[in-house]
Amino acid sequence: MASDKNQSFDSTEDLRQAGLRLQIIYYLAIVIFAALIARLWYLQVINSQGFKDRAEANRIRVIPIPAQRGTIFDRKGRVLVTSKASFNIILSREGVKDSELPQIADLLAEHLEIDRQWLAKRFEDAKYGAQYESIVVKELASESDIAWVNAHGYEYPMITAEEAPQRLYLYGQLAAHALGYVGEVSPEELKKPKGPFSKDNGYKLGDIIGKFGIESKYNDILTGKDGERRVLVDSRGRIQLNGEIERIKPVPGRDLYTTLDLDVQKAAEAQADTMPAGRGAVAMMDPNNGEILAMVSRPAFDPNIFSQRAKTPEGKEEIRELYEDPDKPLYNRVIQGGFPPGSTWKLLTAVAALNEGTITPENSRIQDGDIQVGNYLQHSLSHLGQPTIHDAIVHSADGYFYRLGLKLGVEKFENWVKLFHFGQRTGIDLPNERAGIPPVRQTKLREFEVPIKKAEKQLEEATDKTFRAQLEFRIKQLRHEAEWTDFDMINSAFGQGRNASTPIQLLRYVGALANGGHLHTPHLLLRAVAGIDRNGEEHTEASYKDENAFDVPMSDTIHKIVVDGMYGVVNEGGTGGGARVEGFDVCGKTGTAQVASKDKSGKKTNDHAWFISFAPRDKPEICSVVLTENAGRGGRESAPRTQAILEDYYRRTRGLPPKPEEAQAENGGPGTAPGNPGGKTRPPGAKPQAQN
Amino acid sequence: MFNANRRYMADFDWALLSLAVGLAAFGVLEIWSVTTTHGTATGFWRKQLVGVGIGLVVMFLTTRFDYRRVVNAAPYLYGVGIALLLLVFTPLGKVVNGNRSWLELGSFSFQPSEMAKIFTLMLLAYYLAGVRKRPLDLRTVVVTVGIWALPTVLVFLENDTGSALSYTSFLAAMLFLAGVRWSWVAAALVAVVIAVIVAAPRIKNCESYKCERVKSVYWPDLAQKRFRYQNEQAEIAVGSGAVLGKGPRGSTQGSLGFLPEVHNDFIFAVASEEWGFIGSSLSLTTYLIIIARLIQIARRSRERVGLLLVAGLAALLLYHVTVNVGMVLRLLPIMGIPLPLMSSGSTSVVATCFGLGLAISVRLRRFVN
Repeated sequence: MASDKNQSFDSTEDLRQAGLRLQIIYYLAIVIFAALIARLWYLQVINSQGFKDRAEANRIRVIPIPAQRGTIFDRKGRVLVTSKASFNIILSREGVKDSELPQIADLLAEHLEIDRQWLAKRFEDAKYGAQYESIVVKELASESDIAWVNAHGYEYPMITAEEAPQRLYLYGQLAAHALGYVGEVSPEELKKPKGPFSKDNGYKLGDIIGKFGIESKYNDILTGKDGERRVLVDSRGRIQLNGEIERIKPVPGRDLYTTLDLDVQKAAEAQADTMPAGRGAVAMMDPNNGEILAMVSRPAFDPNIFSQRAKTPEGKEEIRELYEDPDKPLYNRVIQGGFPPGSTWKLLTAVAALNEGTITPENSRIQDGDIQVGNYLQHSLSHLGQPTIHDAIVHSADGYFYRLGLKLGVEKFENWVKLFHFGQRTGIDLPNERAGIPPVRQTKLREFEVPIKKAEKQLEEATDKTFRAQLEFRIKQLRHEAEWTDFDMINSAFGQGRNASTPIQLLRYVGALANGGHLHTPHLLLRAVAGIDRNGEEHTEASYKDENAFDVPMSDTIHKIVVDGMYGVVNEGGTGGGARVEGFDVCGKTGTAQVASKDKSGKKTNDHAWFISFAPRDKPEICSVVLTENAGRGGRESAPRTQAILEDYYRRTRGLPPKPEEAQAENGGPGTAPGNPGGKTRPPGAKPQAQN
Repeated sequence: MFNANRRYMADFDWALLSLAVGLAAFGVLEIWSVTTTHGTATGFWRKQLVGVGIGLVVMFLTTRFDYRRVVNAAPYLYGVGIALLLLVFTPLGKVVNGNRSWLELGSFSFQPSEMAKIFTLMLLAYYLAGVRKRPLDLRTVVVTVGIWALPTVLVFLENDTGSALSYTSFLAAMLFLAGVRWSWVAAALVAVVIAVIVAAPRIKNCESYKCERVKSVYWPDLAQKRFRYQNEQAEIAVGSGAVLGKGPRGSTQGSLGFLPEVHNDFIFAVASEEWGFIGSSLSLTTYLIIIARLIQIARRSRERVGLLLVAGLAALLLYHVTVNVGMVLRLLPIMGIPLPLMSSGSTSVVATCFGLGLAISVRLRRFVN
C-alpha cells in the first residue's frame, strides 16, 4: 500500500512545487525586510532630530549655578548688603516615597551632623507641603558635608548639594525698609503672563528675586546671569563619574551704590530706637538733589530672615509673625504711612498766602487766638495778639493760620496743595509708595459720594411719597454737608482735617522750602556699576536721573520769610528749640498731628509728633523729617531726635570730635532728657501751648 | 580522505559562515560597548565570546556529519528536548523576567526552548519528508501539529509567548512547503485575520501586561505609561542614532540605563544608536542575505528532507529577526525574543550555529544522493 502511494508521488514534481512555494517565502522575507528598513529610515533619517533631542534630554541634566546678586553699598562705598557663596544640602522629593524618609533621616543625621529629631519634624512638615518643593535638610553646609554628598551621589541621587548664595544684610534691620529683602519667586508670580517674574521672562521655581525695597526695585540691576553645569546622568538620575560635560560660570549681578550714608543712617536708627511707642519714621535727604541719606521706619525687621531662614520652620514662623504683627513692621512708614502733617503744613499756607498776596512781607499781621466758626469755637493754644507771619511761624500760632486760611480761600489754597504735589506719589525709587490724601474739596466730596449715591438710588426705587420726601431732604442735606466750610478751611490751613501725607512727601516739601522751591524726586539710587544683566546684555555705568523734578514759584523774599521763620522756630525761642545745633543753623518746623479726640487717652491715641528741618540755613545740605507716632508734641519728641542726628552729622562733616554725652540719647530717649548741656536746646515744654 | 577534505573545503559555504561570524562579532562588539562604557557589567561580552566560540565548534562538527543521519536522530533529540522543557518546571528551573524558561545547572544556565526549537524543527522535517504525499492529507497535518504542539504548549506554559510563537513560524513554513492545499492556506490566513479582528477590541480593554505591551505599540494612548517606556526609549535610541550613529561606545540610551535588557533583546537598538542608519540597515541586509542563502540552499537540495530542514531554519531565522527588530522599532509588541547571533545569550547563539551547521551540511551534500 505504501509502495502504491510512493508510485503516485513524483519526487521531482514535489521538489519543483516546494521550490515555487519557497520563492513565495523569499519574497515575503524581502517585503518584511523592506518594511523594517523603511521604518529605520523613518526613525533614523526623517525624524532623527526629535529623537536626538530626547536622548540629550535623557542623558544631560542641567544644574543651574545661581549668580550672586550685586553688592549694595552706601554712598561712600561701604557695604550694606552682600552675598556669600554657600551650599545647601537638598533632598529631592522626586521619586522618594514617604516610607523611605525615616531611613534617609537616619542617614543624614549620621553623616551630616543634623539633629535627628529636628529632621524628623521637617520631613513631617514636608509631607503636607507641595510635592515639587524639595526639602532643605541643611543650610550653610560645611565642606565635609558637601564632600560626603558628592561622594555618595551615585547611591543617593536624591541628596544633592546645591549652590545657594546667601544674601547677607550686614547691619540686620538697619535701613531694612529701604534695602528690602529677597525671596524665592512664587508660583503666582511665575504664572502672571506679563509679570516681571513670569516664566516668559525666563524665571523658574527656586529663583531668588527682590521682594521689597531696593532689592525689588532694582532687581534687574542686582540680578546676575546664572551659570549652569551640564552633567551626564543615567536613567536613575545619578550623575556619572566625571560626568560634567560643561560648566558655564555665573556672572554676578551689578553692584549698586545707594544714596544712603551709613553714618547718618546709624544716627537715625539710634534715634528711632528710642521712640516711645516703637513706631515712627525718620528720613534724611540732600535738598539739593533728592538723594536720601537715611531712611528708617519703626518697627523694623531683619531682612536676613527672608534670605537665610525662609525655608526653615523657625524662619517661616518668624516671617508669619512679621506679617501678623499689628504694628506692621514690614510696612515702610516713610512712603506708605499717611498721617495728618499738623503744623508743619503751616509753611505751605504761608507760602501760598504770600504768593497770592493775601498778606505781604510788609503787612502780615493777623489776629491770633480762638475763633468762632458758626456755632463752634475753635480754640487756639497761642494768643499772640496780632503777630507777623514770622512770629506766627516761630510760635506756631494756630489762631493766626485759621484766619489766614479763611482770608486765602479754598481755591487758592487748593492750587498750592497741587503745586506742591501733595496727594501724588513723589516717585521715589521704591515699590508700594502711597499717594496720600490731599486736603482739597474733592476729598471731602468723595467722602459723601457713597451715601449720596445710595440715597439717590433709594429715591429712584421709592414710591411712598413721605419716604421720597425724606430721601430728597436727606440728599439735600448730604450735599450741603459735602460742601467745603470755613471749619474745613481753618483745619486744612494748619494741617489737620482731611489730610494724609507721607513722611517722604513732607521731606520733599521741606527740601523745597530749604532750596527755594525746587522739588527733587527723592531717590535711593546713586549709581549702578557697569556689567551684564541676567540676559547677558551689557550695561554701562548708570546713575539716577531725576526726570520728575519740578519747581514751585517762590520769590527770594518769600523764601527768606519762610527760612527766617523756620530758623526762629529752632533758634529764637520757637517751638522747635530742641533741634538746635550750635553752629549749624538748623531751621525747622514742629507739628503735632491729632490722632483722636482729646478725651480718649492711651498710647494709640496720643498725638503724632512731627519735626521737619533743614540745615544749615544759608546753604542747606541736609533736610529731615522725623515722625514719632503716638508720642505727643513735635517739639518735645521729634525735634530733639532731629537734633541728635543733625549734631552727629554736623560734627562728622566738620571734623569735630563727637559729642561726649552721646550715650545719653540711648538711655531714656530725648523726651526724658530735658537738660541738654550748654543750653543748646530749650527745656522741652517751654512753650507747649504753642505747638500746634 | 585528503580528497574528501579538499572537496569539503571547496564546497563549504564560506560566505554563509563569514556573514554569520560577522554578525556574531558585531554582536559581541555592541555588548562590550554598551555594558562597559558607563557600567561595570564586564561579564557579558566575555560570556558571549565564549558562546560564539562554542557555537562555531558546534557548527563545524555538525557540518562534518551527514545531515540525514542527524535528522534520523531527531526523534531521540526531540525526546531530549521535551525532557529539558519539563525539567524547567522542576526546582532546576529559574524564572528570569517573568519567564520560566531557564534551566540552571550549577553555574551554567541555558534556555531549553532554544534547543528544543531546533529539535522540533528536525523532527518535523524527518516526519514530513517521510510522508510522500502531495497535497498533504488531514492525518499528516494533524500528526505534524501534534509534534509541534507538545513543546509549544510547554513553552507557552513557561510564559514565553514569543518563543511559543517562534515554533509556529517553522511549522507554518514547513507545512506550506510540504504541500498543504492552497485552500487550507487561505483558510488559515482568513482565520488569522478573523482572530486579529476579534482580539483587537478585547486587547484594548484588557490590562494584563501582555495586552499593555500590545497597546503601547498600536494604541499608545490607551497603554499605561510604564509599559510605553521601553518602546519609547528604544525608539529614541534608534532614532537618535540618525544616519551615521554616535560611534562605538557612543550609546547613551543603552549604556546609561534608559533602555532595559539592552545587551540581549534590545542589542539592535544599541547597534542602531551607535552605527546609525548605515549600520542598522547593513546588518539587517546581512540577515536578509543569510535568509536568502538558506532559501537557496533549500531550493538546491535534491531531496525533501534537506529542503524542509533548511527552509524551516530560514523561516525560524526570519521570524526571530522580524519579531526582534520589529519590537525594537516599535512595529511589534515587546516579546522576549533574542536577535539571533547578536543578542547576548549562549544558548541562542549555539542553537543558531547548530542550525546553520545543518544548513551548510545540506549544501555540502547537495550533489551526493
